[in-house]
Amino acid sequence: MKAGFLALPLIALPFVLNDFWLTQIATRALILGITALSLSFLATYLGVVSFAQITLAGIAGYTIAYFGPNTVGVGIKLPFWVSIPAALLFSVTAGALIGYIARRSRGIYAIMITLAIGVAFFYFTRQNYAVFNGWTGFSGITAPVVAGTSLRDPSTLYFLSLATAAIAVVLVSLFARAPLGLAIQAVRDAPSRVMALGIPVTTPVVAAFAFSGLIAGGGGILNVWYQERISSFSVGLGPIIDVLIIAVIGGLRHPLGAFLGAIVFVLLDTFAVDLIDRDRFNTLIGMVLLIIVMVAPNGLQQLAADAVAKLRAKEHQSGKSARIKTNT
Amino acid sequence: MRLFLIVTLNGLTLAALYFLAASGFSLIFGLMRTVNMAHGALLLLGGYVGYDVVELTGSWMLGIACGGLAAALAGAAVQAGILGWMQGDELRQTLASIAISIVLADLMLWYWGGITYQVSLPDILSGGQKLPLLGVGYANIRLALMAFAVVVGVMLWFLIQRTRFGAVIRAGVDDQDMLRALGFPIGRIFIAVFALGSALAGMAGVIAASALSISPGTDLQFLLSSLVVVIVGGMGSIGGAALGALLVGLAEQYGLAYAPTYGVVFTFGIMVLILAVRPQGLMGRSEQ
Amino acid sequence: MSGASTSVVEMATDSVLDITNLDLHYGSSHVLHQVNLSVSHKPLSILGRNGMGKTSLCQAIMGLHRHSAGNIRFCGREIGAMPPEQRAQAGLAYVPQGRRVFRSLTVDEHLQIVERSGAAWNRERVYDTFPRLAERRRNLGDRLSGGEQQMLAISRALLLNPRLILLDEPTEGLAPTIVDDVVTLITNIVEEGIAVVLVEQNMHAALQAVDEVAIMVGGQVVDVLPSEQLASDSELQNHYLGLDLVNN
Ligand SMILES: Nc1ncnc2c1ncn2[C@@H]1O[C@H](COP(=O)(O)OP(=O)(O)OP(=O)(O)O)[C@@H](O)[C@H]1O
Ligand SMILES: [Mg+2]
Repeated sequence: MKAGFLALPLIALPFVLNDFWLTQIATRALILGITALSLSFLATYLGVVSFAQITLAGIAGYTIAYFGPNTVGVGIKLPFWVSIPAALLFSVTAGALIGYIARRSRGIYAIMITLAIGVAFFYFTRQNYAVFNGWTGFSGITAPVVAGTSLRDPSTLYFLSLATAAIAVVLVSLFARAPLGLAIQAVRDAPSRVMALGIPVTTPVVAAFAFSGLIAGGGGILNVWYQERISSFSVGLGPIIDVLIIAVIGGLRHPLGAFLGAIVFVLLDTFAVDLIDRDRFNTLIGMVLLIIVMVAPNGLQQLAADAVAKLRAKEHQSGKSARIKTNT
Repeated sequence: MRLFLIVTLNGLTLAALYFLAASGFSLIFGLMRTVNMAHGALLLLGGYVGYDVVELTGSWMLGIACGGLAAALAGAAVQAGILGWMQGDELRQTLASIAISIVLADLMLWYWGGITYQVSLPDILSGGQKLPLLGVGYANIRLALMAFAVVVGVMLWFLIQRTRFGAVIRAGVDDQDMLRALGFPIGRIFIAVFALGSALAGMAGVIAASALSISPGTDLQFLLSSLVVVIVGGMGSIGGAALGALLVGLAEQYGLAYAPTYGVVFTFGIMVLILAVRPQGLMGRSEQ
Repeated sequence: MSGASTSVVEMATDSVLDITNLDLHYGSSHVLHQVNLSVSHKPLSILGRNGMGKTSLCQAIMGLHRHSAGNIRFCGREIGAMPPEQRAQAGLAYVPQGRRVFRSLTVDEHLQIVERSGAAWNRERVYDTFPRLAERRRNLGDRLSGGEQQMLAISRALLLNPRLILLDEPTEGLAPTIVDDVVTLITNIVEEGIAVVLVEQNMHAALQAVDEVAIMVGGQVVDVLPSEQLASDSELQNHYLGLDLVNN
């Protein structure tokens, strides 16, 4: 019922919005939101803020670029029903590997390690020409054509992103309730106690990162279709920080915050030019981030939830008093 | 052989610069558990201010001092105004310092523009030396940079190991609550140490602008190198920062000379290896 | 003639520490319930079994863990809102459970950072009082024996020249002869006019050192009585403290 309220307008969007709003705002926010969801999933359930999610998305994106049609003459062409699973497989494997490297690290240490891994991957893509085609990367990537429609077609890509986002959200909530998900939350709450009980921490941590790789990979595939190119800049510090900002603005306590953060980010990014000098976007977004961290550390999602709760309480109150009135 | 010597010297130069940048970062982390992601931005701020002061007064030493001072003031303001209020919530501090770093970098880009700056050197530091024994020529400023790093390292060691203020800092690293229960205003000590660490970054910025050059992006470059250096050497240890800087600086230069394609990847490879074997870094204390 | 009124004034000024209706929580668990306690210059011991909230009370008094309700008055001033460092500057000194000496400071540095010139207690006097510490002045905190660490923790507190010293289980884990030394030391501190609050599980040691005993059970001070009364009443001892404590 609640989901329906949310789903109906979302499904109706393509029939209401023009191409600019649909593609530049809605689809872009969904894709960024999916990647940010992989971050807020780790933050919410494992308690680890990972800076390597763009790396995981990038690995999936590069796989699509390498095994798909592109205009730089690098790679092997494979049908999309091979390249898509391959892309997800690589991002999941890379996620597991990063989880393994960072298995003993928590808090700020995990931040630093994942950041270092992300930056190392960025440098690697710039230096490697055989697979990543150096800093120029891949361009002219075209999304597959299914039943006569390109998946890049505005409303098709929108629905595809919406479906992916919905599946990702469902998977996250299923994962969180599964035994492995509960183990992860135990690690988050008391890593030393879990270790003292003799339960190996490695498995849940690796599983969580691998799962986040799956979600980030989904975002990465959509993103490379959306952008129609990928290069070292797509996996650099800029996008790494962007995704972090999205997740933090949205709220690290709840996975859905990622999409809220993505909408705000995309709107600011698109319309900052009307607010302030286009060149000062970073000052604006930095200030927004700072204010959120200072006054609402749990992000917009929490603010929204609090507001809704307050409203409900008020309604409840007024409903009660109304009833009392009719009684008397 | 000649190449090897030059590369080694370059590695040591870079290590000296990395040490100057990372020592302040490590000092701040060691006492307050704050990962100051704005460290690179403070370094760049010091570099720009130092450049302006040298242009204005012609005094290189004054430039270094003012660069350090500007960064110290900015750092103290950041700690007193923002990070200090979140003390104990490390994640929040990290995120706030990322925000500060983004804003600072953008404001500096606005004020100083996207161009590259290089501080003009005083006469004694320009030109080069033919090194005795080694038989290679080397730029004076780079030799001065190495000497400066050694002097700063020794002074830091003296400050921390041999003075009363240093003993208070060490006590704070060991047990903050107990230090407070002995009447020490921890908030002010934090601000002082943050200013000190930032001053080191600011001076490193001026020196980087003298020996190399600075431009937008220098902030991230030194933030990342500081991160890697302290991860390798061990967070919070000045000796660890020195060792980490040596390893990373040399690895980077050897990598660049002998395996140019993957030089940087090589550096990060060392880091991942150390993390796998010794998560607290070579000279870091384990957390428990 | 005016004897009665002076004694009233004395009564008022004699109270060094006054705790009223103190509550303390760790997250959702309620640990101290409406604690009331008044400390004068008469040395006082707080006795109670494991986990009764003695350390929590000390932490609340020092401000290391904020209490959730109630008042703490020290020398006539409300200190409940002060950070720990201001409480220490106001004359409260804390010798924590487990000593908590700084592991990377030498004995001498421990004393040096706290020492203030011209005060009654200074480094020289500490070394005169504890020759053992003088011998080990260049040793790091974590290289000392338990007894030496305790001497150091107490000396560190004395160098603050406090009006009240709060000791949390100073005899815990010490050999019997060292326990006697600590008791003698506390007696000396009392003679110097410093108010003493001695938290203990070792009832016999505590009873030698203090005049008055407060009993803590389940996060509350349930009784305050003269030492002699508790010392002579084994039934009361069993009732409040259990056999295990009384017999050690
Ligand atoms: N940091 C903490 N977080 C949560 N609960 C705590 C914490 N410290 C103590 N407690 C709980 O508060 C209660 C009182 O503990 P406290 O340490 O004050 O007791 P104590 O009387 O000093 O015990 P002991 O004689 O063993 O030192 C105990 O039930 C303990 O489990
Ligand atoms: Mg205790």
